[in-house]
Amino acid sequence: MSQIPTANADWPERYYHLDQILDRPGPRTDEAFPAGDQVKEFLREGCKILVIGAGGLGCEILANLALSGFKDIHVIDMDTIDISNLNRQFLFRPKDVGKPKATVAAAFVMDRVPGVKVTPYYGKIQDKDDDYYMQFNLVICGLDSIEARRWMNATLVGMADPDVPETIKPLIDGGTEGFKGQARVIIPGLSSCYECSLDMLNKQTAFPICTIANTPRQPEHCIEWASVLEWPRIKGDLKLDTDDPDHISWLYGVASARAQEFKIEGVTWSLTQGVVKNIIPAIASTNAIIAASCCTEALKIATTSAPYLDNYFMLIGTEGVYSFTFQHERKPDYLIVEEFLDWLLEKQDIQAKKPSLSYGNTPIYLQAPPQLEQATRKNLQRKVSEIVPAGNEITVTSVSLPFSLTLKVEYV
Amino acid sequence: MDPASTSKSEQPDSHTRRYDRQLRLWAASGQQALELSRVLVISGSATSTSILKNLVLPGIGQFTILDSARVTPQDAGNNFFLHRDSIGKSRAEESVRFLLELNDSVKGTADTSDLASILDERPQYLKSFTLVIAHNLRELTLKKLSSILWGDISGPPLIVVRSAGFLAEFSIQFHEHTIMDSHTDDIPSYRLDNAFPALAKHALDLDFDALDVTDHAHIPYFVILVRALHDWKQAHGGKAPEYKQLKDFKAQILRMKKKEDEENFDEAITQVFKAYQKTTVPSEIRALFSNPSCVNLDESSSPFFVMLHALDLFTRKEPYTLPLSPKLPDIKSDTVNYIHLQGLYKAQANAEKAEFTRILEEVVAKAGVAPVPSSVIDEFVRNCHQLKILKGKQWDQDDNSALLEAIATNPAQVGTHLALSALFAFEAAHKRWPLPGSEADLAVAQEWIDAKLSAAGWNEESVVQDDGTQVDEAATGPQSLTFREHVSNAMGEIIRAPTADLPTTAALLGGFIAQEAIKLITRQYVPINGVCVIDLISSTTGTIKI
Ligand SMILES: [Zn+2]
Repeated sequence: MSQIPTANADWPERYYHLDQILDRPGPRTDEAFPAGDQVKEFLREGCKILVIGAGGLGCEILANLALSGFKDIHVIDMDTIDISNLNRQFLFRPKDVGKPKATVAAAFVMDRVPGVKVTPYYGKIQDKDDDYYMQFNLVICGLDSIEARRWMNATLVGMADPDVPETIKPLIDGGTEGFKGQARVIIPGLSSCYECSLDMLNKQTAFPICTIANTPRQPEHCIEWASVLEWPRIKGDLKLDTDDPDHISWLYGVASARAQEFKIEGVTWSLTQGVVKNIIPAIASTNAIIAASCCTEALKIATTSAPYLDNYFMLIGTEGVYSFTFQHERKPDYLIVEEFLDWLLEKQDIQAKKPSLSYGNTPIYLQAPPQLEQATRKNLQRKVSEIVPAGNEITVTSVSLPFSLTLKVEYV
Repeated sequence: MDPASTSKSEQPDSHTRRYDRQLRLWAASGQQALELSRVLVISGSATSTSILKNLVLPGIGQFTILDSARVTPQDAGNNFFLHRDSIGKSRAEESVRFLLELNDSVKGTADTSDLASILDERPQYLKSFTLVIAHNLRELTLKKLSSILWGDISGPPLIVVRSAGFLAEFSIQFHEHTIMDSHTDDIPSYRLDNAFPALAKHALDLDFDALDVTDHAHIPYFVILVRALHDWKQAHGGKAPEYKQLKDFKAQILRMKKKEDEENFDEAITQVFKAYQKTTVPSEIRALFSNPSCVNLDESSSPFFVMLHALDLFTRKEPYTLPLSPKLPDIKSDTVNYIHLQGLYKAQANAEKAEFTRILEEVVAKAGVAPVPSSVIDEFVRNCHQLKILKGKQWDQDDNSALLEAIATNPAQVGTHLALSALFAFEAAHKRWPLPGSEADLAVAQEWIDAKLSAAGWNEESVVQDDGTQVDEAATGPQSLTFREHVSNAMGEIIRAPTADLPTTAALLGGFIAQEAIKLITRQYVPINGVCVIDLISSTTGTIKI
C-alpha cells in the first residue's frame, strides 16, 4: 500500500458524497465560498491538520478526517494501547496492546483510506515548539487531560498575531464523559478559549483528610485511606503506579480490611481502581458524536462550505438527546491591552486622554514620544494577564490627569 | 498477612477489563442485555456501518446487515468499513467482514436478500431481532416495514434514520418502552417527615444534651431533622411546619447547636427541604399504576408490569408509600453514628423488600407468569422511585395539531423535518432522487411542503403567537429566523446535497443511534420520544413531538 499521497490514489466518484457540498453553496453558505475545484484543491492538497490525541476521540477524528478528504494529517499521542481502550478505540486490536497509539492509528488509517498521509508522533505535545505548530492550518484536540489542553490552548493563543491571519490556528476541542460531551471552536485571540471556561469543569470530589483518617463512612473514604495514607507509610519511596494491577490489588486489600473494621460495605476492586485512577466512563457512541462534531467544524472551517460553530456545543444524552449550542463569552482576564485602553477611555469618571500604561518600572504602552510609542505598540495585542500578575497595579498617566492613577488588577 | 496475596483473585477478568469504561455506566445487567441482543440494520451505507461500529465495540450479541447492493466507487469513498478493493463485491458481506474485526465476541451476518421480498413473503424474519434500524430507506418500503413491525405489539422497535448532507433526523417506533433504571437524578424519599419506628425511636431516645461536644457535632442531620420535626409538632399541636414557617423552623434547629461551628447542624439547615418532602407515592409513579398492562395481568405479562402491579398493591398499605431505599447519601458524621443510621435504613428496607416480594409471589401465582429472579427484584425496588414508561407512536403518523405546536416552539427543527420528508416524498412520487442543485426539483419539493402545511392548517398568521409560547432557544441556536426562512434554508440545503451521506454526518448519526439503541436494549437511561432533528450547519439538535 502506497503511503505517499498522490493524485492518482483517487478513483472516479470517490468523493461523490462530499462533492455535493463542495460543488455549490447552500442557503447559509458565505458568499466568499470558492465552490468547486478551488476548495477541493485546498482541502485535499493544501490543508495540513494536526490531531492531538489518538485515544477515544482521536481514533474517530482520524478516520473522519481521512474520509472527509484531508490528506495531510499529523497526530501526537504519548500513550500506549491498553486492553481497556478496545471497547471504543476502534483502530486498535488485542495484538496492538502495549504499542504506541499514534503509530498504530496512523498506519491503520493509511491502510484503510488510500492516498491519505498520517504522520504520527509518539511523545508529548510539549516536545514541539511554535515553529512546529505554525505549519498547520487547524488543530483538533481529543484529550482527557486538562493540563495538556491548557498547554495546547496557551501555545496557540500565544502564537496568534491578529495582524497576521496565518498565525491564528483555529483550535477545535472535544471531550466526553459517559453519555455527555462537548465540542467547541476556539479562534485564538478572538473567541472564548479553554482558560475562559475553566470554571465550567466539574470539580473532582476531594475528601477531607480528617474524614479519611478518622471518620470514614463511604467505601471511597477507605480507598483514599489506603492510597493516600497507607501506601506511603508502608511502601516508603515506591511510587504508586495506578496502571499496575498488583498495586491496585494491594490498595484493594488494605481498603477492604479497613472497611471491614468499620463495617462499611461496597469496597470492590473496580471501585478501588476507579477512585485511584479517577476513571471517567467512556463509550464509543458518545466519542463518535463528539468527534464527528469536531470534524464537521474542521471541514466547515477548512472549506467555508458552511458557517462554523460559534462557539460551544454541549450534549447530554442520558434523558433523550439534549444539546445546547451557545456562544461562550471571553473572560476579561484575556483582555488585551488595547481593549483595556478602550475601557479606560470609556470610563467617564477617570477622564484619561491618551493614557500611557506601565507596570512598576516596565512600560506597557506609552503614547509619547513616538519612538517609545512604536516600541511599546506590540504590547497592545498582548493579554493584560500576561504582563501584570493578579493583585498588582497598573499605573496610568495622562496629560489630562494631574496625578498618576494606579489600578489594581484582579482576574476572575 | 499481606493484603495483596489475599486479593489477587479479585483482579477482573479480560471481559471486565475490556468493558470496564462502559460497565461503570450500565453495569453487568446492562452488558448482559447487550450481549443477548440481535440487531438488524437495513443497508450497508456509511451511516449504517457507523451505527454498527458503536454497537459491535461495546459487544452486542449479533447483528445482521440486510443489503442486496454491490459496493460502488462512491461507497468505497465515504465508508470506513469498506475499502477500495471492495468495489464490485457484496456491500453487506464486505462491511460485515470489516466490522467483525472490531470485536471477536460479536457475531455478524450479511444477508443479501431483497427487503421487498422479505416484507412480502416472510415478514416474521424481522421479528427475530431485538431491534431494527433503517437508514434512508425509500418511503414506500419504509411504510410497509414500519406497519408490519407496528402490527405486532411484541415486535421489535424500529429506529428510522434519514440524512442528506449536513441535515438529519431520527425517531424510534415503539408501542411502549419500560425503564427500570432511568439513571435520573431523582432522589428517593428518606421519610424524615414520617420516620419509620426504628428511626423515630433512635432520634427520640438520643439525649442530645447529655452528649459531649464531639459526639454532639457528629449527630447525622437525618437524626437532627427527625428530632426537630418531632419537637416542632409537640409545640404546634401535632402539626408539621408549613413553608411560611421555614424561618422559625430553621431557627429552632439552630438553637439545638451546642457550639457555633457544628457543621452537622449547618448541613441540617441546607438540607431542611428533606424534612418538608412528603412521604407519598410520587405522582409520576402513581400514574403508571393505571397503565392497562399493569392493571390487567396475564401469562404474557412482562416482569416489569408484574412487579409494577405488586408495587401498586404494596402502596395501598401502611405507610402508603414506595419501599424504602437502602442507599443513604454521605452525611457529615462519624463512622459509628453513620453506620448505625445506615443499619436502620438497611434493616427497614430489607423488611419492606421482603413484604414486596411476598406480595409479588401472590401476584405471580395469580397471573401464572414465571417467578422473577431476586436480582431483578432488587434492581426494581432500588429504582422504584424513578421507573418510567414511554408511550410511543407509529412512524409517519404526524399529528397536525402537534405539528403546529412544534412550529411555535421549534421552528428550525420542524423546517428540517419537513425538508427531509419532502426529499423522500419526492423520490416516492418521481422514482428518482432530486438532482443536486436543481431549481426545478427544489420548486417541486417546496410545493410538497406548502401542501403539507396547508393541510395541517398552518398560515403565516399563526406564526404570531401571543400566548406566551417560548421558542426553544437551546435547540434553535442564536439566530432568529422566521419559520418560512427555516423551511427554505433547510430545503435549499437538501437540494444542494440530496444524496450525500457525508462521512462526518454518518459518524455523528452512528453515535446518536447507537446511544439510543443501547438505551432501548439495556432498558437503562431514557431514549428519545419524538423526532430528533440534527442540523450540522448551525451545530444544533432538537427533539420535536409530532
Ligand atoms: Zn480565554
